[in-house]
Amino acid sequence: MLFSPGWRAPIRQGEVLAVFSLGLVLGGALSAGVVWLVSGLAAPVPATARAVLTVLVAAVAAAREAGLIRLPLPQNSRQIPQEVLMHRLRTGSLQFGFEMGTGVRTYVSASSPYVLALGLLLAHMSAPATLLAGVAFGAGRALSAALTYWARSRDRDALIAARMAWVKNVTALSVLAAATLLLVR
Amino acid sequence: MLQLTALPAGRLRRGLTEPLLPVTVLALLAVAAAALSATVMCWAAVGALAGFALSGSV
Repeated sequence: MLFSPGWRAPIRQGEVLAVFSLGLVLGGALSAGVVWLVSGLAAPVPATARAVLTVLVAAVAAAREAGLIRLPLPQNSRQIPQEVLMHRLRTGSLQFGFEMGTGVRTYVSASSPYVLALGLLLAHMSAPATLLAGVAFGAGRALSAALTYWARSRDRDALIAARMAWVKNVTALSVLAAATLLLVR
Repeated sequence: MLQLTALPAGRLRRGLTEPLLPVTVLALLAVAAAALSATVMCWAAVGALAGFALSGSV
């Protein structure tokens, strides 16, 4: 929990949030850069096959979030050690955000990030376009933390827990709809 | 009187930080961009959605 022991703590949590968000964005950009480098391997595959595969994976992800199928995610089942935040708060928050932003250093509990990674891999867009998607991924994670900070509510964890199923389902369905509209015409 | 003035601010804050709000906006953006064949914008919106879908992590 980044904002432990809460928004009333006597430290500059806005500063922590800013550094953490920077780390998230940098981590997302790094992962997107790696995806872009590998995406060249997908270039020889026919565009139709790449489009169909992306939509198919998005459909499987939506079905998984809806509970229609059970599918374990190939995630790194470890937590980022809390010690990174204990000694040097700024660099620790930056490291914490960076590791989370990469999406490969800790749990990834939703299906949509996998659709994003595969979609970018198969789309083989320009480097700036792919990096922008990675930055957006980090920014999306940062937005969640920012809303928690701005909410200043003791009940925030309970609210997020209550909304998570909706968030994941709406996300997966809209990613499926967007991929279908964009790639299958 | 204090309660009367504080309550709307609390409600406003709760409404503006509601987790489903950014999901709805980003979902509409992703689908609209896809419909307009705005590939880069579409993948950027999907990226933000995918990141936000991990909200429970922090």
